[in-house]
Amino acid sequence: MSTVTLTIDGRTVTVPKGTTVYHAARQLGIEIPIFCYHDRMPPLGACRMCFVQVDRMPRLQTACTLEAQEGMVVWTESPEVVEARRAILEFLLINHPLDCPICDKGGECPLQDNTFRYGPGASRFVEPKRHFPKAVRLSPVLTLDRERCILCWRCTRFGEVVAGDHALKGHERGYRTHIDVPPVTQERPSKFIGNTIAICPVGALTSGVYRFRARPWDNQPTAGVCTHCGVGCATWVDTRGGEVVRVRAREKPEVNDIWLCDVGFFGYDYTQHPDRLTTPYMRQGGTLQPASWEEALDVVARALRQASPRVGALGGKRLTVEEAYLLGKLFRFLGSNHVDARADSAFAPPREWAWGAGPFEALDRVGVFVLVGCDLSEDYPVLWLRAKRALDRGAAGLALAPKRLEIAPYLQGAVVHRYGTEADVLYAAARLLAERSGSVPEPLRQVKVQTSCDRAGVSCQAVEDLVRHLARPGPVLFVVGQLSWDGPQPGRTLAALQTLRAVCGGEVWVLRGKGNATGALLAGLAPDALPGLVPPEDPQARARVRAVWGFEPPISPGLAAPAMLEAAAAGRLSVLYVAGADPARDFPDGDLWKRARAKLDLLVVTDLFWTTTVEQADVVLPALSCFERAGTWANLEGRLQRVAASRMGPPGARADGDILQLLSQRLGRPMEYASVDEVWEELRRVAPGMELDRPYSFPRPQPRVEVQLPTPLDGEGLVVVPSAPLFRTGEMASRCRGLPELAGNPTVVLHPEDAVPLGLEDGAEVELQVGDASARARATVDAAVAPGHVLVPVGFSQFPRSRWQRPGLRVRVRALQPAGRESR
Amino acid sequence: MPQPVLLRYVREPDQADIDAYERRGGYAALRRALRELSPEQVTELVDRSQLRGRGGAGFPTGRKWKFVPKDAPVKYLVVNADEGEPGTFKDRTLLEGDPHLLVEGIALAAYANGVRTAYVYLRREFYQAHRRLERAIAQAYQRGYLGQGILGTDFCLDVYVHPGAGAYIAGEETALLESLEGRRAMPRLKPPYFPAVMGLYEKPTVLNNVETLCCVPWIVREGPEWWLHQGPPQLYSVSGHVNAPQVVEAPLGTSARELIERAGGVRGGRQVKAFYPGGTSSRPLPGKYLDVPLRHEELAKLGSMLGSAAVIVMDETTDMVKVIARVCEFYRDESCGKCTPCREGTVWVTQILDRILHGRGRPEDLDLLASLARNMTGTCFCPLGESVPPSLRAGLEDFREEFEAYVRAAREPATMPVRLHLGAPAPGG
Repeated sequence: MSTVTLTIDGRTVTVPKGTTVYHAARQLGIEIPIFCYHDRMPPLGACRMCFVQVDRMPRLQTACTLEAQEGMVVWTESPEVVEARRAILEFLLINHPLDCPICDKGGECPLQDNTFRYGPGASRFVEPKRHFPKAVRLSPVLTLDRERCILCWRCTRFGEVVAGDHALKGHERGYRTHIDVPPVTQERPSKFIGNTIAICPVGALTSGVYRFRARPWDNQPTAGVCTHCGVGCATWVDTRGGEVVRVRAREKPEVNDIWLCDVGFFGYDYTQHPDRLTTPYMRQGGTLQPASWEEALDVVARALRQASPRVGALGGKRLTVEEAYLLGKLFRFLGSNHVDARADSAFAPPREWAWGAGPFEALDRVGVFVLVGCDLSEDYPVLWLRAKRALDRGAAGLALAPKRLEIAPYLQGAVVHRYGTEADVLYAAARLLAERSGSVPEPLRQVKVQTSCDRAGVSCQAVEDLVRHLARPGPVLFVVGQLSWDGPQPGRTLAALQTLRAVCGGEVWVLRGKGNATGALLAGLAPDALPGLVPPEDPQARARVRAVWGFEPPISPGLAAPAMLEAAAAGRLSVLYVAGADPARDFPDGDLWKRARAKLDLLVVTDLFWTTTVEQADVVLPALSCFERAGTWANLEGRLQRVAASRMGPPGARADGDILQLLSQRLGRPMEYASVDEVWEELRRVAPGMELDRPYSFPRPQPRVEVQLPTPLDGEGLVVVPSAPLFRTGEMASRCRGLPELAGNPTVVLHPEDAVPLGLEDGAEVELQVGDASARARATVDAAVAPGHVLVPVGFSQFPRSRWQRPGLRVRVRALQPAGRESR
Repeated sequence: MPQPVLLRYVREPDQADIDAYERRGGYAALRRALRELSPEQVTELVDRSQLRGRGGAGFPTGRKWKFVPKDAPVKYLVVNADEGEPGTFKDRTLLEGDPHLLVEGIALAAYANGVRTAYVYLRREFYQAHRRLERAIAQAYQRGYLGQGILGTDFCLDVYVHPGAGAYIAGEETALLESLEGRRAMPRLKPPYFPAVMGLYEKPTVLNNVETLCCVPWIVREGPEWWLHQGPPQLYSVSGHVNAPQVVEAPLGTSARELIERAGGVRGGRQVKAFYPGGTSSRPLPGKYLDVPLRHEELAKLGSMLGSAAVIVMDETTDMVKVIARVCEFYRDESCGKCTPCREGTVWVTQILDRILHGRGRPEDLDLLASLARNMTGTCFCPLGESVPPSLRAGLEDFREEFEAYVRAAREPATMPVRLHLGAPAPGG
């Protein structure tokens, strides 16, 4: 790379060509004050704060926009520069309210800091200040003080450049200019608005949740990891008086860079919610009654010992890696491999498909990425920001999904197919590509492009476009998401994907699981894997485990979540231990869960809140939230991040790890550790591949041609496309300020072709009937799904996964109230 | 006096019609260019004519065209018809009076630059011009001067008219592009990318003013030597305290005195106190400079500029403090709000001037205004904010006693100046 050498304040510096003077100065440790410039966005040059003087240039130059040139001589402290900075700060301050004592930003405010260092000592302004409405509520989580705003445009540009959602825009002009919400954001809230608060250089944009809760210098920051979605964004957790008052992004370029989504940014208040469970409960005479820890643990231990090995454990996304490891170890001691972190899925793929994505940084180098049933911005929002960056640098993005993705306008191709037919599109693409290369492998000959396209309800042209983009230069990445995993034929989708990969190559990411689900799996909460994803029959692994554990784990694979429930329903499993999961609400087959529950001798649940599963439990143990205990969290890449506790849990609740240790004592196999570190060290001896802060190298499936035939989905009514939006009313989100309002009321989406015969207008109230149950929602009429389909937002309390996630579900839709009849 | 060139037919009532335009020699230049000249030769003719942009900046047009990459597959021509500089109305005169002249100029510029799509960004308030231009374009399509295979060649061109949304800043070329792309009109960062290299939709873009393009058919038809021999012709919008405000065509370098005479002289036979030589963005000059040739170089020496060649005349009864306050208000209202010194400086300056005009001026206000003028000079993002200091500076330097009179009146109300806002009406009219 070519470089240039320039002189700044008499010191020479050599920088790569294209570097701005601002960055060149920083390299020398010379500070140039800025407001509008932000290094994650291109220079703008609006605030005029970063003036420097350059020899042989007629006027002052803005350092953030000026490219360093060979031989340039720059002065950052000349009298002209000092005078100009003072002038700009004076302009910025004349109409600023200077209400620093009550401003959230006070103490961490660039305007304060720059004024202190570079500003004029006194004001020459004697005119009345400009007044704007203060504390304007732009969204349930965003409040704008227009008088404090210095119009640096960072927030509007964040929406334009980084997130692509155009959530905030400048309105009016000149001295009347202000930031406001354009209609598009009023209809659909931004998923990333918290970041605008973070990058606002003054106290103009403030958090509706954090507002007036603390002064920054009183906050205790603790490095944390967001445990909501599985991307594992690094955070700072600010606590004050034992309360989490704020969560901010912690810079981590490999994972979240400096961004968070709004669930991560605003979703912390649940941890101090009065609904938290603070005492164990036991079922007595048919109802759950408060109990002591002693009693409850005794009952659980006795039942586990008596039923062993007909015992199973479900859950793990809310456990730390260490706790998941202890849970797996305890159940293996009880002679059971029936442990599964995938408590919310009806599809249990083989181990090599278990999980595994990343490293995320691979997105920075791909030529093409293909989202297969992956609603990236809804499921893993911060990963979308990285994908968008890839698109911005010229990569192609493609999507196959049973719905139109919100991010479709940014993609080169977005195919909306019939539910469960992504395999047909993939096979058709494989066939076309193979034909082009001149040799069609034998099994692929049975795939007919036209037939496949017809079955998927997409045009052949769409598949041809897909194939054209796949041929672009650069690595190909397939990203399989929840819409496929939870779809009717996930196994066939994987086979089709393997077939396509055999033809065109490319990596696969599996984006699956929330919270620490990946970490739980890595730590051994899988029926067919010991810690480190090794099969239980692997002799080396068994030897390691035996040496460390002092006992022999069962050799044959255990039951995955669906099979475990089948076994329970058949009376072959007596005790189920559910840790940090809510299968009664989330397992896609609610009837199976009910049958299983009915036959279980004992259902033990550890959780934070009175969930649906807790309601049905025999013993309830109150647990701690992710803010309340130290431990290691893995993200989708298997990157392990260690965090410390940032607050004390409510008295009466215990960490899952402590609960497991107490149980182990009662079971005669005491697991005693003085610290999380001890557990971690033991886990590393059992599974040597585990290292902190590195993406895990998951076993990867090898591509091969395999053609599976489709199973037709027959039935009457509209096919349900279950799709969980980011903002929904889960147990945690519904207990956070702001998030339920962002979620709003659930809306189903129908294709116009289906809406017209039903006499449905956009915005009408509808009833969805399935069997003897029904649910009501407002309907949007939009070709965002294929004809014959209805998009159902699962994850709202009206639409629990247990009923609405069942693959192949069909419903009858009935109009209740035409749009606008009741209120408009 | 030679026959006018640009204005030759604007007063003919049928000139907006294609038959009349053709009858008077219209589209001959386009025919000639497509038959006899290569695109490079057309650019060369324009370059040799020394034509300079008539939008305000005065950049040589031929040079501008030569910046456009020859091999780019997609290029655009954008016509700046967002004439908004106070006192400027020459483009409107051309658009209303001779719209085909612009259409022909567009076609020639597009041919010279290898452009197939042109946009006219038209000031929304020009309703009459809009109607006439749309009609002229439709007629040009019918006669084969626009569209596919123009005049039997393989040259194709589509022209679209886009009315603006009422913002002065959209006349700044990069803000115009933002607005044309559907965004808020705010100027773009220019270096390292100028519109010629990366303009509309990030493609190379030729951006020319209406009057500039209207010169091109004449240059191509009659040749650059003839053009230079005509003066070269320059349109001056003469307004203010003259008896017959109008667009005057005169050779570049004509003095304000002569222009005022052509516009019927100063009303009431009064003396000229001051005049803006190039719209309100230029520094107003005291009456003693009436004989200075209005040309880029001479005006630059006086700290002013030719700008859009809008000569605004103010007679001896004019209250310069009020004039300057009004001008500052204009820029305050039209500032886009992007950069700090323009957004905040314009409003502060007008607040102070308003206070002075209302008898609450302080002696230190004059120094404060001078200081603010200094702080807004060389610090703004685009020329809009920098349009305020020239007026302020002229007021504080050339008409200081008028400011002092107001400030004195704050202590001695009886001395309050009684001149009316923009000067006393002429006797009897």
